[in-house]
Amino acid sequence: MEKSKKSTKRLAAAKELNKVVGEYYLECAAAKEQGKPVGWMPPMNGAIELFYAMDLQPVFPENWSPVCAAFGLTPKNFEVSEGMGYSRDLCGYLRNIVGYVNGPMTDPAIPLGGLPAPDLLISPGGGCVPVMKIFHALERRFPEAKVFKADLPQVALEEIAPHHIDYAIQEMQRLITFLEEATGRKLDQDRLQEVAALSDQACALWDEIMSYRRSIPAPFSAAEIGIMFVMVTRQGTRQAIDFLIKARDEIKERAESGTGVIENEKLRLFWDNIPLWYNMGLFNYFEKANAVVVAETYSAAWSIRLDPADPLKALALKSLMSYPLVSCVSIEKRKEMVLKACRDYAIDGVVFHRNKSCVPISLGQMDIRKALEDELGIPSVIFDADHMDARNFSTAQFQVRIDAFLEMLAERKGQTFKT
Amino acid sequence: MSQPDYLQPFADCLTQSSQWLSAQAEAGEKHIGYFCTYTPVELIHACGFVPIRVMGEPGVVEQAYSLVPDFICPFMKCALEKALNGGFKYLKGVVQGYTCDVSCGMANIWKENIPGELYHTFPLPYTDAPATRDYLHKEFQAFIHKAEQAGGEFRLERLQSSLDMYAAIRRSLLSLYQFGEDGAPALNARERHIVVQAGYVAPPDLFLGMLEALASQKPFNSRESQAGIPVLISGSLVESVGVFDAMEKAGARIVADDLCSGYRNLLPVDGSGSGPMERLIDRYVNRFPCPSRCRAENRFPLLMDRIEQTGARGVIFLIQKFCTPHLADIPELTRLLKAAGIPVLVVEMDESWRMGGQLQTRLEGFVEMIDGMYGTNHGKI
Ligand code: SF4
Ligand code: SF4
Repeated sequence: MEKSKKSTKRLAAAKELNKVVGEYYLECAAAKEQGKPVGWMPPMNGAIELFYAMDLQPVFPENWSPVCAAFGLTPKNFEVSEGMGYSRDLCGYLRNIVGYVNGPMTDPAIPLGGLPAPDLLISPGGGCVPVMKIFHALERRFPEAKVFKADLPQVALEEIAPHHIDYAIQEMQRLITFLEEATGRKLDQDRLQEVAALSDQACALWDEIMSYRRSIPAPFSAAEIGIMFVMVTRQGTRQAIDFLIKARDEIKERAESGTGVIENEKLRLFWDNIPLWYNMGLFNYFEKANAVVVAETYSAAWSIRLDPADPLKALALKSLMSYPLVSCVSIEKRKEMVLKACRDYAIDGVVFHRNKSCVPISLGQMDIRKALEDELGIPSVIFDADHMDARNFSTAQFQVRIDAFLEMLAERKGQTFKT
Repeated sequence: MSQPDYLQPFADCLTQSSQWLSAQAEAGEKHIGYFCTYTPVELIHACGFVPIRVMGEPGVVEQAYSLVPDFICPFMKCALEKALNGGFKYLKGVVQGYTCDVSCGMANIWKENIPGELYHTFPLPYTDAPATRDYLHKEFQAFIHKAEQAGGEFRLERLQSSLDMYAAIRRSLLSLYQFGEDGAPALNARERHIVVQAGYVAPPDLFLGMLEALASQKPFNSRESQAGIPVLISGSLVESVGVFDAMEKAGARIVADDLCSGYRNLLPVDGSGSGPMERLIDRYVNRFPCPSRCRAENRFPLLMDRIEQTGARGVIFLIQKFCTPHLADIPELTRLLKAAGIPVLVVEMDESWRMGGQLQTRLEGFVEMIDGMYGTNHGKI
């Protein structure tokens, strides 16, 4: 297996994704030309819907990083940020985006037109430290951008209390005031409700799409998780709904007709932590043992339903919940979520990516692993890697670990599989 | 190493606190651990618990790897190792302010694996506005409720006296950082470290008494030598006094620090407000900035102030390996410091806390470089 490999796509929706991704980045570039204010922000918060409701252009530097990885731009970006003194021990998103904005950003040959410079920066307090530091670096790089210094309680899901929600709502209101003053545009409440309804509909579709993965054989695998792109960048838009409906119809049809990812699905796997964006082909590696990755932790971050009747509260709640849902702020909830997914998706084994680029998601994995064994008797394997930095990934170590794991799983199910 | 008499109680405290605290716990005292100095210790204390800072024991980490990856800071790894070896049995739980991702995750891992009754993470705000203060008030009340369910008992008068006591401790510690008429600080960096660290593992009333006894013995007879290049060290937690010796051996003299186990925790000494709650809130929204909660450029003027006040000629970032907040600030801080003519060295420590030969050579090179910059006066100020 090559060190960097693209995944094999079976869904037509996954193939259409290239178009959707291209269109989104073209739209970002065009926004700048049309004088539409461009704001950069972390993806997991309710500011996205506000942006779409006010006809502003949201841009997500974290999401640009997987694109850089897919186009092979990452090593160059790392070279720039490491040259500036950013340690190799820092999250790869941080090193990539800091390198990109201080390096190739102005290169006209950048794929998809690159990112347009921000007019606004929604600079978070809360979420993880790397993402906060990404925005501090962006504030320095784009001194002309207007900065909203956001604040959000980092609270475990099970501890969210009314005062956290009230504070998050106040922060939403403060953000609206900032956006109105910075752009001269007024937020239309009806439009906000509409956007919140679209966002909720996207989440409902997402949940439905995920539910078809319960079918045996699974209609699509983690190799095609890129379809999540619209959940990250297009929450609250019609484009997201249109894409998701098509994807849903195709997946539903595959589930109902018993069309699996592979012909002879024998083992069903769960993946914890972010994929290796520079090597999505790993998800196909399991197929040699007729194993399919049918569920992941990461995709759960987008299953947050919104009550359109009270959009501000809904967005505040979304902001409060989405990061803790997948990070160590809520190990308890994450454990519950993984265990539930393992039951729902009839999982045979779990693959833990111990991710040097993401401490918040990697912390707590051992507790989840133990609960899987103790409560469900589901075995798991851990391998070390990095979602952005191929230098922290050893193909040989991965293969040795995974082969042994698959062999063990096969034996447990009375199958024969020898590497 | 033997200590001057006036330091002995503090050194003893560091070596023997586990035994004392265990004995006290058996006698019914309720101790609560915390990792980070952004934790409102006064509130914990006012709820009837004794806050004790969790620190690790430098050395080999083995057991902790069954629960955490190796790419987290030595502080948290060593502390977890110690906890798994039964070293914190006297704690009734961990209460923690959300600072970095590791401390947040670790509080949850402790909750899962180390038996206790009270676990809590304060989601502290990043801004200071009326809404923020109101939010924090409610957050503190929610904690009080939780603490009471875990056997604590809150009284507003006690919060008042806890605030007074911790303010007195900080004031007293701060005086150890002040310079005497001869230009030397009251205690040298190593001695000051021993005193300050003892404060993290001693009950506050006892510690205040120790500080008062120390103050009565002024002037101390171990004035810092004038030799050595004056430097400021910046980082999180220093867990081994040996690093001060190594720096001195290399020809440096630590005249100031920006450490959460040192000076950073002392400011502001107190908060102000109409009542004890307001005073508490005021202090925590005005904490001396730590990289996990602010921008590098907000830290820079404060570092420069310290440099000017103390005559430091260079800055050594003494970083725990893998510490994201500090590592992420270093490029910008280094750029700003260098532009201001201040040389910078970055030293990363692993869980052994040993300054090996290579590090020693880098330290020596750094000190020589500064010495060269200042010509023949050998860095003396
Ligand atoms: S990958 Fe992890 S550490 Fe990096 S920005 Fe995202 S949540 Fe933070
Ligand atoms: S700030 Fe750094 S040293 Fe402190 S707990 Fe967090 S990661 Fe560890």
